[in-house]
Amino acid sequence: MSPFILATLLFALGLGTMITFASSHWLLAWMGLEINTLAILPLMAQHHHPRAIEATTKYFIAQATAAAMLLFASATNAWLTGQWDIQLMTHPLPVTLITLALALKMGLAPMHSWLPEVIQGVDFTTGLVLSTWQKLAPFVLLLQLQPTNSTLLLALGTASTLVGGWGGLNQTQLRKILAYSSIAHLGWMTIVLQFSPSLALLTLIVYFTMTFSAFLMFKLNNSTNLNSLAISWTKAPVATALAPLVLLSLGGLPPLTGFMSKWLILQELTKQDLMPLATLLALSALLSLYFYLRLAYSLTLTVSPNTLIGTTPWRHPTSHLTLLLSTSTVATVFLLPITPAIVTLFSLLGT
Amino acid sequence: MVNFVALAREHWVNILVPMGFVFGWYLDKQQDQKLTAFRNKSALFSRELKPGEEVTWK
Amino acid sequence: MLKILLPTLMLIPTAWLVPGKWLWPTTLLHSLIIALISLTWLTNLSEVGWSSLGSYLATDALSTPLLVLTCWLLPLMLLASQNHTASEPINRQRMYVTLLTSLQFFLILAFGATEVIMFYVMFEATLIPTLILITRWGNQAERLNAGTYFLFYTLAGSLPLLVALLLLQNNAGSLSLLTLAYSPPMQLTTYGDKLWWAACLLAFLVKMPLYGVHLWLPKAHVEAPVAGSMILAAVLLKLGGYGMMRMLTILEPLTKELSYPFIIFALWGVLMTGSICLRQTDLKSLIAYSSVSHMGLVVGGILIQTPWGFSGALILMIAHGLTSSALFCLANTNYERTHSRTMVLARGLQMVLPLMTAWWFIASLANLALPPLPNLMGELMIIVSLFNWSWWTLALTGAGTLITAGYSLYMFLMTQRGQLPTHITALEPSHSREHLLMALHLLPLILLVLKPELIWGWTA
Repeated sequence: MSPFILATLLFALGLGTMITFASSHWLLAWMGLEINTLAILPLMAQHHHPRAIEATTKYFIAQATAAAMLLFASATNAWLTGQWDIQLMTHPLPVTLITLALALKMGLAPMHSWLPEVIQGVDFTTGLVLSTWQKLAPFVLLLQLQPTNSTLLLALGTASTLVGGWGGLNQTQLRKILAYSSIAHLGWMTIVLQFSPSLALLTLIVYFTMTFSAFLMFKLNNSTNLNSLAISWTKAPVATALAPLVLLSLGGLPPLTGFMSKWLILQELTKQDLMPLATLLALSALLSLYFYLRLAYSLTLTVSPNTLIGTTPWRHPTSHLTLLLSTSTVATVFLLPITPAIVTLFSLLGT
Repeated sequence: MVNFVALAREHWVNILVPMGFVFGWYLDKQQDQKLTAFRNKSALFSRELKPGEEVTWK
Repeated sequence: MLKILLPTLMLIPTAWLVPGKWLWPTTLLHSLIIALISLTWLTNLSEVGWSSLGSYLATDALSTPLLVLTCWLLPLMLLASQNHTASEPINRQRMYVTLLTSLQFFLILAFGATEVIMFYVMFEATLIPTLILITRWGNQAERLNAGTYFLFYTLAGSLPLLVALLLLQNNAGSLSLLTLAYSPPMQLTTYGDKLWWAACLLAFLVKMPLYGVHLWLPKAHVEAPVAGSMILAAVLLKLGGYGMMRMLTILEPLTKELSYPFIIFALWGVLMTGSICLRQTDLKSLIAYSSVSHMGLVVGGILIQTPWGFSGALILMIAHGLTSSALFCLANTNYERTHSRTMVLARGLQMVLPLMTAWWFIASLANLALPPLPNLMGELMIIVSLFNWSWWTLALTGAGTLITAGYSLYMFLMTQRGQLPTHITALEPSHSREHLLMALHLLPLILLVLKPELIWGWTA
């Protein structure tokens, strides 16, 4: 792909999200989402591989459906209440429709089935963009309309954490596992969205950090399934040694960064007298933890017998830039002790 | 003749743990001072020490 | 507190920067120095209440013995694992030392924490190094299964605990251990409150482990390398007992009725796991089940909630920590020579390793609670306080003691006495490293006979 076209596409990708961030009018927000979707499609299809094309098509259909639903719902809203303002949603019908449309856009269960298929079809970099940057715009819209539909958000969130856990158990493909992990994390955010928007934002950013290290690490190892992880030792020994910590951080085990968001969300839920839900959520994290643990087993904790072919990669120092990976890995592992500072930062952002 | 440079190069790491101890001991002492200072200032415990009376912390 | 914590932290750079040939002597020396410094905590025991108080960490009569035990275990673990890691590349050996040190770091933070959530976080934090120790450094392929069991049993028990603690924080306003004991007693009447009570204790009962949720422990012990088994038996199980004693002070009004089934389960577990030991063929598995059996007695002593029960539980925890760790080391000396844990294959070792037999003898006698060792004092105090509660418990505890004596002797006779099988006549003689290891385990145990008030806990 020519660098000019790439730059234009990336610019449009940023522009779409920014338009959605900045808009208070539903039509403009919808426009931003569409620009964003149209910009990522060529990026997804840039390798002319059947799987990539298939993934692009699936992504396009899911996003177009969601966008059409969003447009329909906001038009209904204008018809019912006479205005297009995002912050002033009063009628329950368009609110429900828009929430469902945004859930489809982000891939919350039960509208999640497209996400693992799409991420499996694209390479790690595009997959990373799909599971981080592409979530931002719909998530911000959801944040702005949150206080009106509590049960729906709780149901979507709980379903996502459970589906994210269960779905990942059966997978051997890394990108699918990461997609299911994304679904589960989005579920946690959705649940706490209506009680504390700043906490939801914090969870989102913490998830971005963790998934960033996971994607970059698998990209560094150039391995897309569970079996090919076993020889990572010879490619990047230090990254491999730290990999279980990154994975367990994604699973939310203390004292790693991933525990921070889970802890704060559970605290918020107990404040809202939702103990059964909190316990259910906490235990659903175990489902996800199981497949992270399995990844850690095959990546680091079992060392395959060293064959001659296995040891040759020792001699090739990696040409990848690892600065980003190392920074995000450190953030993924060590941020729990400064939880108070991070919480304060995000509560300042929230106001 | 003992080669001190080689000795230092080989064994300088032995200083790390004692350094940790000294630093930790110092921080503990600071903490004690802070807590006893608080205690002497608090409304419940504060009083003038009698001449010749020992301080309560040691 | 920091005077121990910071040197422990500095052990990690020391392990990475020291020249390879000095790795084990240096880390051993420094960890032993740290252990000796930690003995100074014992001088404050006569005072009532907290000492070494800082903002987040403090020691009291309950946590001090466990803290000292934790610090004492690190040099012993280093001593025990030198031989089997010797064939690894040097960087992996450094990694191994780092792992053990980080485990001690988290354990000190867990036992010293003055805030329940911090205790919880550190309680969970010990899972990661232990998990890596079991699954990365174990020998058989079953170790992955054992690691999964270990992690998921513990987490499934402790995640409800997190929710329960957060709920308590909302109701009581604070989770500081310094003030929690003085908070007004709560009105716990509803069905939900009973669930809350169970959630508060379940994590610790799984960690102890209570009979019925103990299946992870023998697996973890059998698959872990010697250092993993040592720390697991000596300190990690005691996190459960420690947490229970801390939590029971705030669970007050409900415990009277609700603890019945758990006491029964614990005492029944003493009998059952003891019987399992009697028909065990695997040496490490036998020692692991004997741990479950002893811990059942500890659970009974804690749940009965009398001063004698608490003291007896703490004494038994410390004594059992040293004894079972010593037994795992002995099992490992056999394993390193015969490469098998099966007892039938390594009989009659008295003929080839006569001095080791002396250590086996002392450790087995300690395990069956021979007077005047602290094991007996702990068991006796627990049995007496249980007897005081109900006469019928004597049937269970008495039979349990008998079975304990039975399997301890079975283990000793099976491994040491009798004819030496012909296939193991050419064994390596025991190293002085191993004798030092055993002496450092059993000397503290014997010396504690002279001054048991160090481990009496709150009654001291």
